[in-house]
Amino acid sequence: MTQDERSGQVMSQGVMSTGEGMRIFPDVEACIDCGGCVVACKRTWDREIHNQRIDITTMAEGRAGPQGENADKTDRLAAGERPGETSLPMQCYHCENAPCVSVCPTNALQKEDDGFVSVSEDLCVGCQYCLSGCPFGAPQFPDSNEGTAQLFGTGGIMDKCTGCRERQDVQKGPACAEECATDAILVGSAGEIADELEKRDSGSFFNDEAMEIIFGADDAQLFSDQ
Amino acid sequence: MTNLDHGKFSRVTTTFHSLLALTVFFLFFTGYAIAFNTELWWMVELMGGNEGVLLVHRFAGFSLILLTGFWVSYMLLRSTSRSNFRGVLPNRTDISAFVQDIKFALGRADERHPAARQFAGYKADEVPLISYIGKGVVWIFTVELLLLMISGLLIWRKTWLIDFYNSQSVVMAFVAFHGLLGVIMLMGVMFHTFEHGFHPAFYPVEMKAFLPKDRTPNFHDDPDEYETTGIERLRLRSSWRWATNVMGVLVVVGIVSVMMASLSYGGYPVPDRLQFNEGSVLRTIGVNVGMLVLLIGLVLSMYGNVLRARYVRQRRETAERTTAADGGEREADRSGDLEGGGRPGTDGGTRPIDDRSTTDDGTNDGRSDDDVGG
Ligand code: SF4
Ligand code: SF4
Repeated sequence: MTQDERSGQVMSQGVMSTGEGMRIFPDVEACIDCGGCVVACKRTWDREIHNQRIDITTMAEGRAGPQGENADKTDRLAAGERPGETSLPMQCYHCENAPCVSVCPTNALQKEDDGFVSVSEDLCVGCQYCLSGCPFGAPQFPDSNEGTAQLFGTGGIMDKCTGCRERQDVQKGPACAEECATDAILVGSAGEIADELEKRDSGSFFNDEAMEIIFGADDAQLFSDQ
Repeated sequence: MTNLDHGKFSRVTTTFHSLLALTVFFLFFTGYAIAFNTELWWMVELMGGNEGVLLVHRFAGFSLILLTGFWVSYMLLRSTSRSNFRGVLPNRTDISAFVQDIKFALGRADERHPAARQFAGYKADEVPLISYIGKGVVWIFTVELLLLMISGLLIWRKTWLIDFYNSQSVVMAFVAFHGLLGVIMLMGVMFHTFEHGFHPAFYPVEMKAFLPKDRTPNFHDDPDEYETTGIERLRLRSSWRWATNVMGVLVVVGIVSVMMASLSYGGYPVPDRLQFNEGSVLRTIGVNVGMLVLLIGLVLSMYGNVLRARYVRQRRETAERTTAADGGEREADRSGDLEGGGRPGTDGGTRPIDDRSTTDDGTNDGRSDDDVGG
């Protein structure tokens, strides 16, 4: 018997649709902390070793939740219990209400018409306000340890996940999501992502506030109905 | 005697004032270049490009904090200077002068309160060394600078407050607060430049901000013996009228533009977001005019120091000459632009310059010295 016959539903690929209006969101039930996405990102964009455009954050490492290991984390969390070891691919989610964009004093950060949040290298002054504004630790400052930048505490130029916009423009998914062996990085419209999480009996690991930042108040509702 | 013809500030304070001006101007130039980068992109480039501009801002900010820390402790440690802090506290006369000025402005009083007079034309016993307006300037600038330094430091060293800093609203609050103070301070500095540089008796610079009081000619006779203060002997420079008109327009345009620009950038005084809109030609001109006024302020501050150096050299040369030629005339008195009611020494002969000068510590007339006032 195939999985198909059992549930009547097929789990989608991580990448469901690309380009305009795309959203990126992690499925924590699926992530196994293999680091494949990190490698794929570095290999594709050739960034510095300490520049984590994507990084896996593992919480409660080595501890099982009440449900046992590797399952039912988001439900446990929603029920107010400790979910046990949970890994979360953290990157820029190209938020609908991007706090980084609203704190950037120089317009270096922009929410583009197609939904991507981009940083313009020749406008960024390295003030690091975006670092304080972003709830997800996405902004990276790879040059912040160098000479004068370190002395004066400036970060150098900010760098972050671009959502692989160039790849998406030619209908390819982001490198991380394409690489992910367990399809833990979901890419598509908010509706597609919400449906897929429901299909997988998974959910969001973030609280309502964070969901509204990422998806906007309206689209965040799609997830809370689950 | 007028309060034109004696110094107010010690050597340390005049030096501090000039260095303070230098750091504050650099902070303005860099800070504004960042905040209004659409209008002042050229300034960003000039100040080290997007990678360097913040470095300059932080360096200037750090220098300002060091400088102020040094000056305040210096003033506190010296007993003769400590009284100055009391000297700038508002007293009852200041309050009644303020009230009467309001009435005067509303047409309910015939004249301004005597203690509100701060510039030339009055004898020393008729005017306070520092009026409530001067005290107001001291306090406003002090509070603004202090808050700018604290908020600036906290923005710089976010980790000090990391526990509660990590939220959009706190960042916004700090940054908006810092920016708002910067805007208010900028307007104050523009006005300060205009008020002191373009007063008919001082134009183009008010020398007492640059010339320490131990170098400034003094008057020790009884003011009652003299009919006037000697202000009528001052000559108005021919360029004063147009220069003041032009500068007045620039200051108004600068202040209004900076205020309007802050307003149109999404809500003033506390912006709802810091994302700035696209620029407009008018706003670009206006904000640049504001920066021009600042630049004029910086140039005047440097010019004041040039004048001081020139004046001190002249006096030294004159002193050498007059000491050699016994009974010569006191030319030094005439060489100073500031000289109001001075007159040749009563003995008719030459008095060595040092005789007429107070020491760095001394007070001129028993009142407080070193005031940083307006
Ligand atoms: S707030 Fe963070 S995650 Fe959201 S768009 Fe900005 S950098 Fe990306
Ligand atoms: S570090 Fe750069 S991108 Fe981030 S807020 Fe500052 S100027 Fe904007």
